[in-house]
Amino acid sequence: MLKAISTTSVRSVTRAGFLWAVAIVVVVMAAVLLPAFRTPVSVNSLLASLAPLLLIAIGQAIVVIFGGIDLSVGAVAGMATVVLSLHTIVPGGAPAAVALAVAAGLVLGLVNGTGVLLGINPLLMTFAMAGVVQGIALLLQVVPDAGTPFDLVKVLASSFGSVPAFALVAIVALVLAWLWMSQSRTGRVIQAAGYDQRIATRLGLPVRTATLIAFGLSGAFAALGGLAIVARTFTADALVGSSSVIDSISIVLVAGIAITGGVGSLLSVLPAAVIIAVVGQSITLTGTDAYYQTIFKGVLLIAAMGLYQLSGSTIRLPWCLGLRARDRTNAQASRELKE
Amino acid sequence: MTNSLRRVAPQLWVAYSLTLLCLILLALTSQDGITLDRVLRILSNAAPLGVVAVAQTIVIINRGLDLSVGPIMNTAGILVALMSAAPNASLAVTIPIVIVTGAAIGLVNGLLLAFTKIPPLLGTLATAAVIQGIYSLVTRGQPRGLIPAELRELADGRLLGSSFSASLVIWIGLLIVVGLLMGRTVAGRRFYAVGTNPRASWLSGVPIRSHTVFAYVASGTLAAVAGILLVSYSGAPSLTAADSYALNSVVAAVIGGAALSGGAGGMAGTFAGVAVMSFLATVLNSFGIPPSVQLIVSGAVLILMLFVNGRISRARSRT
Repeated sequence: MLKAISTTSVRSVTRAGFLWAVAIVVVVMAAVLLPAFRTPVSVNSLLASLAPLLLIAIGQAIVVIFGGIDLSVGAVAGMATVVLSLHTIVPGGAPAAVALAVAAGLVLGLVNGTGVLLGINPLLMTFAMAGVVQGIALLLQVVPDAGTPFDLVKVLASSFGSVPAFALVAIVALVLAWLWMSQSRTGRVIQAAGYDQRIATRLGLPVRTATLIAFGLSGAFAALGGLAIVARTFTADALVGSSSVIDSISIVLVAGIAITGGVGSLLSVLPAAVIIAVVGQSITLTGTDAYYQTIFKGVLLIAAMGLYQLSGSTIRLPWCLGLRARDRTNAQASRELKE
Repeated sequence: MTNSLRRVAPQLWVAYSLTLLCLILLALTSQDGITLDRVLRILSNAAPLGVVAVAQTIVIINRGLDLSVGPIMNTAGILVALMSAAPNASLAVTIPIVIVTGAAIGLVNGLLLAFTKIPPLLGTLATAAVIQGIYSLVTRGQPRGLIPAELRELADGRLLGSSFSASLVIWIGLLIVVGLLMGRTVAGRRFYAVGTNPRASWLSGVPIRSHTVFAYVASGTLAAVAGILLVSYSGAPSLTAADSYALNSVVAAVIGGAALSGGAGGMAGTFAGVAVMSFLATVLNSFGIPPSVQLIVSGAVLILMLFVNGRISRARSRT
């Protein structure tokens, strides 16, 4: 029997109920234990740090549901902050720089997708691209006359009450991406290709186009995440996104999106991101060493991956250096026979 | 003769052609051409990368990947400096402890990846983050200590008045020993078997888990050695100095024909990979090209070689 894989159905949302409960418990605990957590300033800064996490994780989630992975999101986010600082040179000024930053992300994502189409392992393709993109961003960073466009950044960083504009953008983007992924034709093709790329190809689904779309979107969302980082830090830094890779993968895994592709709901990214953001905020507020955050993230990533194993489902790893295709299909066939 | 030539993997031909090309490029771009002494000096500076590339190759042959080599190298450097600053410190105690620390981190990686189905790249990425967090916490972001002069001699000194530096000899020695062990002994060939087809190896009685664990322990050990070489070359411990070595060691192994699907590659190829990268970096440096461009070049070379090697192995499996 095939399990229901629709991701907008009420059932799939309620399946993530546990995650939502954990997220709520974490927020409530932080609010009860830390008086500083309840202040408007803290809420504002929490949401401001949630926005880039969420935006980058959306892109990562799309790629992971497709059955790939994107290790270049951090470099692309850093690149976007640097491109924004080029507003003095770009014709059209600051608005053009914003458009250019997102376009650059999209193009870099498409390059990743093209590499994957050429038969390069997504893990390594995006890993290598991360080096290339970081190099380009470091080069652009030293362009003279560049500077953060303060007027524009003030607009980006504006907030309604204690809710930053970018947090709203991120949540709207998440809901749109969720609906698109589960209701549109392209979204369904991405899920199907992630579930079993070979069968999707044989059914005549446009898997190649879906590859480009998934990686392109990941790049564009990473660039948006970079803009959200600028709105928070007001600086252009090629290396600013370096923690985004591990963050976004942890969020996607905690959200219950299978690293093997095809399974999971984009909406669960929200509670997962909230958990990580709130823990980060609590570490800052309690004055605990920020380095604990790095350790926490590493342990969380291992725990999230380990949990999948414990959950008992046999894992197919299309892009990882795991079992070969033939072994995999055999294992799958025998599993289906048993069921 | 032709038979033994045909047995050489085509990837190896590509790797050594590239090495020759880079050598010619090096000769053309410098005024006084190339001398053996200069080539040896360049290679001797590449010894840390060389040793860590040996580590990476072992893991890749076993169908893994180790991204924690950079943080392990940093840890080694920090530990060396920290322990040498203590009164009555001696290198005879420090160096074994540092190497054992590297092996211990490798053991954690190995156990983690052998007993779960966590993809190696993500698993080692996570342990890399944990290691970075721990040493940042311990050093409070500011590594202290000193590098003893004897260690500096490792990088700068010349052995017995020849043009070989001690670090070059260590690298080449490790390369040859590991190469012979992996390629010529039954125990070593088993790593290739596990990498090529874990299930078939398991069915024929090869304990694949202990091979995976051992590969990561070897990688951690060698990364610690590379860290010692790096810190004796740079003269100061750093929290970030070795970060680029994760990417670069993978690039070197891949140039040398190591396939990330496991079971392919070897130390001869990896030597060519390291040589290509260090010659190329020297050429770029001589034009005053900034390190950021070198990052772009190594990323682009990795993509290109993944593509080329993928094509070669696909063409070979078809015939």
